Amino acid sequence: MAKIIKGLNIPVNRVEGDLEIRVDVNDHRIEDAWSSGTMFRGFENMMVGRGSLDGLVITPRICGICSLTHLSAAVTALDTIVGVTPPDNAIRLRNVALMAETIQNDMRQTILMYMADFTNPQAYQHHHLFQEAVDRYQMLKGKSVLDVIRKTKRLIEVIAIIGGQWPHTSFMVPGGVTSIPDTPKLMQCQVIIDQFRSWYESRVLGCSIERWQKVSTLKDLHIWLDESPSHQTSEVGFFLRFAFKAGLHTFGRGTDHYISFGNFPFPQDTNVTPLNKNSSPYPGKKQGQYFTAPGFATGITCQDLDATKITEDISAAWFDQNNCITHPFDSETRPYASGTTGNKYSWVKAPRYDGMAAETGPLAETIIDGVPLFQDMIQQKGTSALVRQLARITRPSRLLPAMGTWLNEVMAHRTDPFYTSVKRIPDGQGAGMIQAARGALGHWVSIKNRKISHYQIITPTAWNGSPRDTGMNRGPWEEALRGLTLKDLENPVEAGHVIRSFDPCMVCAVHTLQRNGTAKHFNAGWSF
Amino acid sequence: MKNKIICIGNRLIENDRAGLLVYDLLATVRMPPHTELIEGGISGLNLLCFLEHAGTVVFVDTVSGFTNPGGVVVLNKTQIKSACPKPHYGHDAGIAYVLEVLPGVCDAPLPREIFLVGLEGPTRKSAIEHAARLSLSLIDKC
Repeated sequence: MAKIIKGLNIPVNRVEGDLEIRVDVNDHRIEDAWSSGTMFRGFENMMVGRGSLDGLVITPRICGICSLTHLSAAVTALDTIVGVTPPDNAIRLRNVALMAETIQNDMRQTILMYMADFTNPQAYQHHHLFQEAVDRYQMLKGKSVLDVIRKTKRLIEVIAIIGGQWPHTSFMVPGGVTSIPDTPKLMQCQVIIDQFRSWYESRVLGCSIERWQKVSTLKDLHIWLDESPSHQTSEVGFFLRFAFKAGLHTFGRGTDHYISFGNFPFPQDTNVTPLNKNSSPYPGKKQGQYFTAPGFATGITCQDLDATKITEDISAAWFDQNNCITHPFDSETRPYASGTTGNKYSWVKAPRYDGMAAETGPLAETIIDGVPLFQDMIQQKGTSALVRQLARITRPSRLLPAMGTWLNEVMAHRTDPFYTSVKRIPDGQGAGMIQAARGALGHWVSIKNRKISHYQIITPTAWNGSPRDTGMNRGPWEEALRGLTLKDLENPVEAGHVIRSFDPCMVCAVHTLQRNGTAKHFNAGWSF
Repeated sequence: MKNKIICIGNRLIENDRAGLLVYDLLATVRMPPHTELIEGGISGLNLLCFLEHAGTVVFVDTVSGFTNPGGVVVLNKTQIKSACPKPHYGHDAGIAYVLEVLPGVCDAPLPREIFLVGLEGPTRKSAIEHAARLSLSLIDKC
């Protein structure tokens, strides 16, 4: 007889303590899922009434992993309000720094967080690659773990050099950047990026970036994997061998809707070309003007992004406002935790695009940028935890070449301006919509009488971890968990694979040392 | 080699900001010779770069479960690590994780001494001032 369990809580350790996943399970199969953000953030309310530039200092402190992306979104909103286009050199430096932050996140998330699940003995002790997984990814000791920490630590120096301050740099300001690195410093950045690229090619890909970019179909991927021992033993190769055997390509599908705000605007003069060479100009946010294109896709059918179709739905979120569904320029952040209706279960609002739940992140970027490998994999087998994670670990292969080129261009044009003078921020509205490491990030800002009168932030995890909306449509990872089979209810490692493939980040805040080990929010193991 | 006082925490979180209140106070006083004051914020693993080529390192942060509320405690490296024997990597990776991986990833000599001045919340002004004095005295003694 099938065993039905209602309202089972799944602890997803190493994600964030402020995330709870509740599922209904019928005979080991997840029938329904609810994702709950358990902490009220309310950063928006801190902003109202402050000086127009304060977002540049406050919002980067929202997240310790991706503080630059918040800075970038905040400054982009102000650039829009002012109506200024920063000089080419400022755009290049902003892009290079942001790419460095994105790459460090991709590598650390993959090796330190995602692959750590492969060392779960209850789940994988009989997997033929288990011992090698332990050697590579064992917490604190695995050779890949230490290798990635060492290499990404060095990469972060690029941000420190460009920003002129570390941590908590606010070097991006309306009109450009505040810090102009001298030529030796820029050369130092170039050396760091070159060395990182060399390591990424040899250890992570096991081949050159150019060779990897020729992998354009699922069939090509298997050919590539069989082609050489260096491919098989690379991090990508090991991930594929382990993940295919563990069945990660068979679950975690999601909503089949994808959204990217696009990122890395082009300088007027550059040799870098867009990833999506077929992109067409579009009013508002122009596809051809961004290295990573903005867009929305259903399956692999893409359409231009229309920012007016973005809404926040509070039907299942503990907020109160006059209208349940609003554009972020009209949204409020008024907590309301009565819970009397029973419908509300999360502090995360439900962002929607044209009424649809959409996932965001590196996979969404590959679809909208038209990366052939991922389009083929999705067309053939659909989205899965494996595809989503593969998109993340291989994203640096798309970013690193552009980083090198833009840095060279700064050195070649170092006497050109880095800043366009902005005397004051006028009253007005502006949106800073960028593609952060985890996906679409937006800051919607209004300035009135030189002060912030409105601030709304939609984070990537709000898209991916959103609760139900008015139509009772699930959020992306709620949907991705449906139908998932948990082999061992005491050790639901499959759920961890799915949730972690979205790279969740609920708050990034509390770092407090606590006696007797594990932080208060976390479960050390998989017990219920 | 420079000594470092690294104040960590999140200004936006009431019960995680004590370290940064100490930073604000220390920023108004003259640092001892060869000593750098750093707002470490919520940098987590990215604090590693501050530990390379460092002499004595004093972290200042909120702690929980070490002393009475409002109190201040000083822990050495061994005590920090033993208080959190199996630190994991996450977005809240803190000092214990940083110290655990440090020997394996540091490309330069390890810091001579590492201390944590911990503030058990909720904290009053007197505790902030006490923690600031303790931080400076730890640098002076080493």
